[in-house]
Amino acid sequence: MATSTMFSQLAGGMIVSIEIFVLTLLFSLPLGLLVALGRMSKIKVLSGAIKVYIAIMRGTPLMLQLIVVYFAPYYVFGIAISPSFRFTAVIIAFSINYAAYFAEIFRAGIQSIGQGQWEAAQILGYTKTQTFFKIILVQVIQRIIPPVTNETITLVKDTSLSFVLSVAEMFTIAKQIGAREASIMPLMAAGLFYFVFNYIVAFGMDFFEKKMSYFR
Amino acid sequence: MKKLAAVLLAGVMSLSLCACGDKTQVNVDAEVAPVEETSTTETQAADTTEATATERTKLIVGFDAEFPPYGYMDENGDYVGFDLDLAQEVCNRRGWELVKQPIDWDAKDMELSSGSIDCIWNGFTINGREDSYTFSVPYVDNSQVYVVKSGSEIKSEADLAGKVVGVQADSSALAALEDTEGKADVAATFADLVQFADYNTGFMNLESGAIDVLAMDIGVANYEIAARDGGYEILKDQLASEQYGIGFLKGNTELKDQVESTLLEMAADGTFTKIAEKYADFGLVESVCLEVPSAN
Repeated sequence: MATSTMFSQLAGGMIVSIEIFVLTLLFSLPLGLLVALGRMSKIKVLSGAIKVYIAIMRGTPLMLQLIVVYFAPYYVFGIAISPSFRFTAVIIAFSINYAAYFAEIFRAGIQSIGQGQWEAAQILGYTKTQTFFKIILVQVIQRIIPPVTNETITLVKDTSLSFVLSVAEMFTIAKQIGAREASIMPLMAAGLFYFVFNYIVAFGMDFFEKKMSYFR
Repeated sequence: MKKLAAVLLAGVMSLSLCACGDKTQVNVDAEVAPVEETSTTETQAADTTEATATERTKLIVGFDAEFPPYGYMDENGDYVGFDLDLAQEVCNRRGWELVKQPIDWDAKDMELSSGSIDCIWNGFTINGREDSYTFSVPYVDNSQVYVVKSGSEIKSEADLAGKVVGVQADSSALAALEDTEGKADVAATFADLVQFADYNTGFMNLESGAIDVLAMDIGVANYEIAARDGGYEILKDQLASEQYGIGFLKGNTELKDQVESTLLEMAADGTFTKIAEKYADFGLVESVCLEVPSAN
């Protein structure tokens, strides 16, 4: 088979991987911020519940979480599953899993900002909400870019887990081409795809970090 | 600097918003259509409970897309194979739309019982699984064999003692090796029994010498050896012989009968053999065993 055919088929699978990647980031980043705020809440019930949520999300395999999200409606509630739910289930499972990791990164970032800034802002007449969004969050974003980049790159590679719900993303396509051609070349090519994509992600984040460094 | 960053941020955000908008729309469309379909089918089913058949509009076939020649992805990126061609012909004759759903083989039972797929049609071994699924009549006689590198010192089953043997997880070759009435005594002599997710990994292990023997279905073995331009041998001693059938959810005899009757019709008019001949290189013509109904 021509190498170009293989690459175009892998590129088709890469679109699915990128869809999972973009949608997961889109939902898990804001959700992660909410979770982080809940985790730091003074309301014991809320922060306790969030702690349990984070413990479960980080303590069980993402592959298991994917299976649970997709099959639970049927096995727990007896609702017939529509096949189009596959992709939705992948996005839900990835988003709630990554939100837990992002939440802890956000919490570390928020707590790293000195208490003095809150007090100074209060004296200057800022409300708590204003302080958070106008003063604290900008500094937090700048500080957490490196660990967020780590998670983001892991997410790119984790998209291959979605085949457990039969969503054929790029790595699945690579394995299928490999089975047909009886060759490991498609797997190597898949590695190249991941590498190039992650390089772009890291480059973008690096650029973003430089732009955000105006406090220094 | 600040302004630039703000503009950039706004740009990125609006971009991702646009992307999101498009995406959700596509998703919503895709989701709405099948839901409507199911609900209409359900209403129809409810209205015509006493009618002979439910108004089926499509057949979702679950298969392992890494199982040539029964089901795999061809060079154009389409899913093809002996089993999928048969399924397509059945659907054409019944006026159903065929949905080819590649699945994770380990998740096949969950897929089937939750209704995500209608059947497993993928060189699916009947023997040993009779109690777990409702099966069609067998249509392929299959056997499990041992594959070794050409020129290997292993010539017979007796030579396997002390060797490392590889097998696909949850495959019938593994079942045969674990069956106390089958080959469990032979398996007990192995140095190790290693399980693989797919045959490509298995062959990579065999080629690199990480394992000495690969136990697998003969049809796939023929395909793999042909695709790798030889270099491997199949031992004369076989693990077991068995038959392939189409697996339906236990108790779903209605759908089984529908598919089976069309399949037998295809056997009677020669279409079945014609499809098998497309895959003659992989020894399928010799292995098919579907009996023409008139012979019964």
